[in-house]
Amino acid sequence: MASEVNTGFLLDKRLDSIATDILRPVGISKGFLVWMGFLLVSLSGCIYAYYIQWDKGLIVTGLRDYVSWGMYIANFIFFVATSLVGMLISSVLGLMGFKWVKPIARIAEIIAVAFAAVAGLVIVSDMGRPERLPYVFMYGRIQSPILWDVTVVTTYLVLSTLLYFIPLIPDLAISKGRMGHTPKWLQSTYEVLSVNWSHTPQQYKILLKSVRILLIVIIPTAFAIHTVTSWLLAVTLRPGWDSSIFGPYFLTGAFVAGSAAVVIMMYFVRTNYKLDKYLTLYHFDMMGKLLVLVSLVYLYFNINEFLVPAFKLKTADAIHLKELFVGEYASMFWSVQLLGLIFPIILLLFKFFRKPLPMFIISVVVLIAAWFKRYLIVVPTQQNPFLPKQYVPDAWMVYQPTVIETAITMGTILLAVIIITVLFKLFPVIPIWEMAEEQCENDHKSQE
Amino acid sequence: MIKKYLFLVLIVLISFHLSAQEWVVPAEEGVKLSPFAFNDSTRKVGADLYNTNCKSCHGDPGKNNVINLVPPPPDVASVKMQTNSDGALHFKLVQGRAPMPSFKNILSSTDIWRVISFVRSFNDKYVQVIDTKKGMAGTAASNVKIQVAWVKEQNQVQMVISGMKENKIQPVSGAEVKLFAKRYFGNLLIDEARNTDAQGKALFNFPKDLPGDSAGFVQLIAKLSDEAAYGEAKADTTLAIGVPTYRPPLNEQRAMWNVVQKTPIWLLLAYTFTVLVVWGFIFYVLLQIRAIYKAGLRKDHETTD
Ligand code: HEC
Repeated sequence: MASEVNTGFLLDKRLDSIATDILRPVGISKGFLVWMGFLLVSLSGCIYAYYIQWDKGLIVTGLRDYVSWGMYIANFIFFVATSLVGMLISSVLGLMGFKWVKPIARIAEIIAVAFAAVAGLVIVSDMGRPERLPYVFMYGRIQSPILWDVTVVTTYLVLSTLLYFIPLIPDLAISKGRMGHTPKWLQSTYEVLSVNWSHTPQQYKILLKSVRILLIVIIPTAFAIHTVTSWLLAVTLRPGWDSSIFGPYFLTGAFVAGSAAVVIMMYFVRTNYKLDKYLTLYHFDMMGKLLVLVSLVYLYFNINEFLVPAFKLKTADAIHLKELFVGEYASMFWSVQLLGLIFPIILLLFKFFRKPLPMFIISVVVLIAAWFKRYLIVVPTQQNPFLPKQYVPDAWMVYQPTVIETAITMGTILLAVIIITVLFKLFPVIPIWEMAEEQCENDHKSQE
Repeated sequence: MIKKYLFLVLIVLISFHLSAQEWVVPAEEGVKLSPFAFNDSTRKVGADLYNTNCKSCHGDPGKNNVINLVPPPPDVASVKMQTNSDGALHFKLVQGRAPMPSFKNILSSTDIWRVISFVRSFNDKYVQVIDTKKGMAGTAASNVKIQVAWVKEQNQVQMVISGMKENKIQPVSGAEVKLFAKRYFGNLLIDEARNTDAQGKALFNFPKDLPGDSAGFVQLIAKLSDEAAYGEAKADTTLAIGVPTYRPPLNEQRAMWNVVQKTPIWLLLAYTFTVLVVWGFIFYVLLQIRAIYKAGLRKDHETTD
């Protein structure tokens, strides 16, 4: 992001056409209402499932003494992981000066906000006594990684929200006069949220400075959030978790999941909102290359994570790895590794597969695999404790998620989709002012 | 061959089974009786002794809340417990059988009878028979006094015992005496059992390395072995003759496993510092939104002016 903004674009007539394009899908359409209705009805079923859990306790889940984390914590790790992409796209690539991330940055930030916000709720879903949540703040111990996790997730959520909101302010001001087709309340929301923006150079200066601070501060925060999440597991001695590379292993895995989520959203915006002028084949091509890059790094950590313990084969590790490679979880494990990592890397090396539709399909597979990958990290380890399992009912020996548990997990995913839908529909998904400014700049360059 | 093995296994199993069931009490021990009558005062002392020494395993009498051990400790009110004769109870308490500890060095014979008097209070059908032949304790000497002193030069503990005999206070000679040091769990025998000399004196070698409390104090218990002859003579003395030992409790210092008030300093600083810095930036940015708002106001003024 440049340190100065040439506000010349405001007078340019191209701003008009860009704003018209990007604002066209904004507002309450019939499709939106149908889609939201569908989401809300499904969600209410999931909320009913949660009501049952609230009433009866965790006994309605498959969680017992041995597997006490199960699907919920796997889901939590998935949510935190996916949300990290906001930092990757806006901060890392943005600060390095990659211009192509500009139209994508806001999409990535929306994913970050939605997934980080729901991640906190996912943790609550794993609590048998959720009304005791305030105890974390009343009696929490600074020594516990769980408290660090609560701290960083909250911080990351606030930073991501600011990083979504602040660059949106000029767009809100630009949109104000051009929203005839939208309801009154939405227009007044824009009025309030645009905090008196009047495109003065001074305001742009403040804005650029603030965004820059956020972009820098969010990098260590994002590293912290997922590293600390990995520590929740890695600070124990359990096979499969007792690993010194768990932090980077989680972090790189997060970039894979997040990039796939961004591609899915990009495809949706491009086709449904007819914004192919802004999310071009070039952008998909670049995202494809990015996905290959982060997947390769993740593959490297996977090899480390499995090869080193498999070489030493300590007793507990041997049991754990056998479960994964040839045992109960073998089919899930190999599907995840092949479909979620190896095949995408190979396919995306070819230009054909970096086109929007193939990319979309690959990304959906990658994202689903990413969810199951977290399941494979959490569950098999807990099923093989160090002490022999004895004197417990047979049902405790293996973990089998129940329908209620699955419904609650689905509910959290629906909730994230709802947040994304609302933000997509009510506010411009592509930064208008940045697009206009870039076009003006390009013109200047070609004139010189 | 196989038959032979099977036979062996069977024998082992049967004997194991027997030993797990039967706790054999020698005939002469089984018929022993208490030298005194059980009454409210013996039951009261017995109840206190029970609560400190037995309750942790045997639970509350009649409630069947014994702890989970193999073999299980029977409830005091149970048939299993109450079918024991008085002598058998006495024997089992003195002897112990893992995991049931021996109380030989912990409770005096009289105290054991007091516990038994408490145990019997949960049996309505119990009728006590007193050992009349022996009568009350203290036949050889009465009013026995034990004095314990430290003989520094020889690193020895000295015991001097006197008692009333033939209406005169005299040294008790030729009696077996034992010295114990009180430890966390039970009493530790110091040196070995000795007999008092003509002056009623006995000397015990005291180890140089016995840990005492933080000031080196060790609680000593001196006892005469023959309770029937001398009564329940016993002296508790505390002397500063141990090695001063201070073992801080694990939760005394700042540590990762401690409560939040005892967080390690480095962690407290690192956490607080990081949170303050990051949230400092967040608040700064929030103020910038206000600045944007203010700047917009000024612009409005300029245009209207
Ligand atoms: C460490 C736990 C423990 C403590 C303390 C303990 N007991 Fe026991 N006790 C046991 C166990 C276990 C058994 C069963 C032992 C066996 O059958 O081999 C037992 C057995 C007995 C028996 C024998 C019952 C029978 O099978 O006939 C008596 C009597 C008894 N305890 C009394 C007491 C009294 C009185 C005390 C306190 C002075 C006491 N115990 C303290 C664990 C304990």
